[in-house]
Amino acid sequence: MTAGPVAAPLALACVLAAVVYAVGAVRLRTRGDAWPWLRDCVFATGCAAVVWGLAGPVPGGLFTAHTGRHLLVAMAGPALLAMARPLTLVLRLLPPGGARRGLLRVAHSPAAGWLLFPPVAAAVDVGGLWLLYRTDLWAATHRNPLLGGLLELHMLLAGLLFAMAVCRLDPVRGRCGLPLRAVTLLAAGAAHAVLAKSLYVAGPPGTSFAAADLRAGAHLMYYGGDAVEVLLALVLAAQWYAATGRRRARQAAREALPAGAR
Amino acid sequence: MSTSDPLARTAAARRPEPRRSLLVCAVVGAAVMAAVDEIVFHQLLHWHHFYDRSTSGVALLSDGLLHTAELLALVAGFFLYADLRRRGALAPGHAWSGVFLGAGAFQVFDGIVDHKVLRVHQVRYGVDVTPYDWAWNLAGLVLLVIGGVSLARARRAGGRRVS
Repeated sequence: MTAGPVAAPLALACVLAAVVYAVGAVRLRTRGDAWPWLRDCVFATGCAAVVWGLAGPVPGGLFTAHTGRHLLVAMAGPALLAMARPLTLVLRLLPPGGARRGLLRVAHSPAAGWLLFPPVAAAVDVGGLWLLYRTDLWAATHRNPLLGGLLELHMLLAGLLFAMAVCRLDPVRGRCGLPLRAVTLLAAGAAHAVLAKSLYVAGPPGTSFAAADLRAGAHLMYYGGDAVEVLLALVLAAQWYAATGRRRARQAAREALPAGAR
Repeated sequence: MSTSDPLARTAAARRPEPRRSLLVCAVVGAAVMAAVDEIVFHQLLHWHHFYDRSTSGVALLSDGLLHTAELLALVAGFFLYADLRRRGALAPGHAWSGVFLGAGAFQVFDGIVDHKVLRVHQVRYGVDVTPYDWAWNLAGLVLLVIGGVSLARARRAGGRRVS
């Protein structure tokens, strides 16, 4: 992944999104809404990760640097962005009316429901990764800068789609149980780990990276993927912990009522 | 409201759950053992190889699945453990035996299935691996025996308390 024609506008859009989020969160708080500061920090960190991956300096050989950028733009950044509930923030900020209704209609549309069905989102995200590394797509993106730019955009959006589908913190169409989301995370993580290990010995077709570069990149991909996976798993586990606590409190409150009032 | 906090009321009815304590802590034990394996033998000693050239496709797939499952189990195990603590349902004796049984089971599984059956990688390269294999699997067996003995003791103690 090199700086293509899409990288600079995309990085700029990210900076803009960070500013809009921060201003929006401040407006919510002055209005009296509760909006944890942690979410502001998480969103800003996510934007910083994406901008760094798109435009910043990344150490290592060609392939290792590409892996580092990929980790920032397509995995760590989007996971952090999804954790900050951007859709919830926008929906709370928009006044009742056309724009808010339109956004809700998109979020609740059947198409969005399908895309955010965890296995579909995982197939789009990790499937794209397999296509990039195991077909001639990689070589093609280096010949055609526009294609490379579209790839950067796809990586960011697919990463965001996957993180939103698995975490489901924003109000999107359809509810998905924890087991399906956890199994999807497991399958996607395994597919990522297998691809990383296979890259250790054989680089993408049509490329010739130095063996040491390829190995360092594969290591980074494997363990970097682990870090993001643990982050997403923590989100799921925290959701389960909170939901179980609420359910038990409700049950206890019901049992505390006199028998006639139940 | 005259009644006390509903959570405190259920606290009065707190009961230890030995089976759940055992299972949850076995998950934690296996996941911690896997993390120790990854950190000590892969990262610190560099004994295991990241990719052994004789690794087959099936081995690679099972390794990827197992590695990811370990990570998820580590996170899930600690949250399940926190839930047991929160409810006051942790049975300490069963929990400790679970940790040892889980750790031992992982060690023996890794030593026999990963190293010998699937041949994902070996304990160490460039030396005669037989003593290392014995040490690896015997260590796992010792953990299993400790877990089994402590489980028997926890059961006896639990039985006395009930009667």
